[in-house]
Amino acid sequence: MAEYTVSLVGNPNVGKTSLYNRITHSLEHVGNWHGVTVTEVSKKIMFDHNTVNMVDLPGLYSLSVYSLEEGISRDRILDKSSDLIINICEVNNLARNLYLTLQLLELDVPTVLVVNMMDELKKQGKVLNYRKIEKVLKIPIVPMSAKYHSDVHLLMQVALDHIQTHGANTVNLEYLEKLPLDDVISIIGANAANAGFVPRWAAIKVLENDSFVLEKLALNELQTKALKAMGDMQARVAQVRYEFIDKITEGAISRSVSDEHHEMHEHTEHNVPIEQEGELAETHDKKDKHARHHNKHKKSERLKMLGFSRIDKIVLNKYLALPIFLLVMALIFVLTFGLVGKFFTWLLELGIDKLIYAPLTKWLVKIDCPAWIVGLVGDGIIQGVGGILVFLPQIVLLFFFLALLEDSGYISRVAFMTDGIFRKIGLSGRSAFTMLMGFGCSATAVLTARGLEDDTMRKKTVLLTPFMSCSARLPVYSTVAAAFFAAGSPFIIFGMYVLGAAVALLLAALFEKCIKPLKSGKLSFIMEMPPYRFPTAERVFQIIWNNAKVFLIRVGTVIFALNVIVWLLSNFSFTAGYTVGKDARSILEIVSGWIAPVFKPFGFGNWKAVTSLLSGLVAKEVVISSIESLTSGDMYAIFTGAHPSLSALTFMVFTLLYVPCVATLVAIRKEAGIKWMFFSLGLQIGVAYVVSLVFYGIGLLYYLNKGVFIGSVIVAVVATICVAVLVGRIRGKNKCPYCSSGCGSCIKKCEKKSEPKK
Amino acid sequence: MTLLDAQVNTKYKVCGVSGEGNARRRLLDMGFTPECSLYIAGVAPMGGTVLVGLRGFLVALREDAASLIEIKAAS
Repeated sequence: MAEYTVSLVGNPNVGKTSLYNRITHSLEHVGNWHGVTVTEVSKKIMFDHNTVNMVDLPGLYSLSVYSLEEGISRDRILDKSSDLIINICEVNNLARNLYLTLQLLELDVPTVLVVNMMDELKKQGKVLNYRKIEKVLKIPIVPMSAKYHSDVHLLMQVALDHIQTHGANTVNLEYLEKLPLDDVISIIGANAANAGFVPRWAAIKVLENDSFVLEKLALNELQTKALKAMGDMQARVAQVRYEFIDKITEGAISRSVSDEHHEMHEHTEHNVPIEQEGELAETHDKKDKHARHHNKHKKSERLKMLGFSRIDKIVLNKYLALPIFLLVMALIFVLTFGLVGKFFTWLLELGIDKLIYAPLTKWLVKIDCPAWIVGLVGDGIIQGVGGILVFLPQIVLLFFFLALLEDSGYISRVAFMTDGIFRKIGLSGRSAFTMLMGFGCSATAVLTARGLEDDTMRKKTVLLTPFMSCSARLPVYSTVAAAFFAAGSPFIIFGMYVLGAAVALLLAALFEKCIKPLKSGKLSFIMEMPPYRFPTAERVFQIIWNNAKVFLIRVGTVIFALNVIVWLLSNFSFTAGYTVGKDARSILEIVSGWIAPVFKPFGFGNWKAVTSLLSGLVAKEVVISSIESLTSGDMYAIFTGAHPSLSALTFMVFTLLYVPCVATLVAIRKEAGIKWMFFSLGLQIGVAYVVSLVFYGIGLLYYLNKGVFIGSVIVAVVATICVAVLVGRIRGKNKCPYCSSGCGSCIKKCEKKSEPKK
Repeated sequence: MTLLDAQVNTKYKVCGVSGEGNARRRLLDMGFTPECSLYIAGVAPMGGTVLVGLRGFLVALREDAASLIEIKAAS
């Protein structure tokens, strides 16, 4: 009996979390894009009477890190708290994956290598002679396909064996001899020992100019000078590593000559002793020679396959890309909120009303319950909580489509094709990930911003994500829109999503222009593009189940409790007790009444609307459940202005834009700090109020006089075009030749900057 | 010449990566090392970003990062 810590380490998007879920029987979020896991997750399992603490870490390309979430992994690897590292590689780009493996070996941490996605190699009719690599690296290698099925038991067996028998790594990293490591060690040796680094490893990192290690070493001026004199070795280190990798992987992947042979190889994979396997590979090589001319043909095919695949030619086409994206989103929303979702929601609504609400209230009246208990159970709990519960089908559908987008790899294409727009407003395509995830849940989306490498960009993305309409806001739109605009409601809901996204993009542009701490300027954008993969039913269900579970738990706890509190506070007064049927004002009627005048201009300046918006701060769904329980479903009790349907629309706009929930604020504090959390709070309330005011004003114009409205719209459009053209003219004249700025004010600065380079 | 001057779907070889700091290291770590062959698989619909294929995978690069990569025609 012993206790071990085993960490999963690897490049982004190689299937670390898939394997983690297999090993620990967990349901952590997986997806076909880079940076799904942004924090370490761990779970204890029992294996062979040993306790194994499995740790899943965010992906990283190198121990010299690039973004915050990679830093988490690096620290975990460096602090040596793991007894073993399971390094996961993806067979499709083995070379780049082994780059990290070499760094782990340089660090001399006990490592077992998993080569994942063997299924994709098999589909191409190829086999991997992993024994050949095993012989050089002298660490156990386990091939598997974590997405579908995998022999987790074998892997754990190999892993524990390796922990128990592991001495020092015996691998001969011959490429290190090509680097002047001894010279560097003679300079930094003492510092490395003080900082707790292995001198050889520290020397490699110094050559790589790794800022983290250099900082820890705290070198003095003399040492820095001596290192500088050695010249720039950064590229050299990468080059010798890759040369070594190319050498050991050469010929490791070959075409299986025939399917029979392939079958045989598969069967013998785990059982054949090394010598025999070597022979097998040799005969394999001979057969390969015959197939070589065949291979040449295939090679050119592979080059094509890697490039713009047939799907990408259409999806990323210059003219079709954006329309296709919008069409896909529109289709998702129409199916979710219109056709399919609505039907199931209606079914559930009917069920709750006929099977629970009616019989239960009847029974409560029959057994002579006090009137306030009947009210609490009937209106407060069943109407309120039930009113949210009926949205379960729509939420399941929304997450189903989000899961498809994520798992197929389309979401990375969206990042790639929108990068052009995002660049202009100081963001990158990578921000598109976070913002699209915002359609699911604002709080969890904000956390995914950690994968953004630039500090300013991360702050900005975090501030903008809450404006993307999350799934908790959906019940509010659905219910309100259904009450006022029966047939058109799916379009109105889609409009809300577009409005949210538009506000976010406009604010980004505004930040870039006007707010200095949020100006990110020109940034580089380097993102790996995953291949299209077919989403498996298992993983899609996993994502749906996770989110449905979260939703049901919220309904059962926070929303339930809040509904009871809101109902009690709004039906009891300080002095008179239960207020129904009495001439007394309830507690909330008084408190919310103080704020109510603020919303007078929108036509919902009454305490019920204010109460629902206030309770929505805890969870947005509560906005609608409060309305349902406060008004027993009569929307006109909320929208008391002269134009109830316009007020209803404005109410939706306000709900879209004001603070999503306390959990999101907490997430923002975590990612950007308390200062920015308060900035975000003010921003959300301010933007919500101003946009609502403008929206209501424009709407009012429409209601007052349609002619005037259409006229002003035309004038506004023409004026905008004129201004845009004029500004473009002026900009075009002074365009800076050195950077993307169009104003020309920076020409002199840029000129100076670019001079020393040339 | 740099990757910016490259033709789409033509093979090139890397000569080196210029510049300094994070972007350069990331490019080197990803395998843009001398003599490695690469090609441009496509350009983003709105421009400014290119999709580069190397070592069996695809990576999206903004123009500024692409301009750091010096290339030569594959012989």
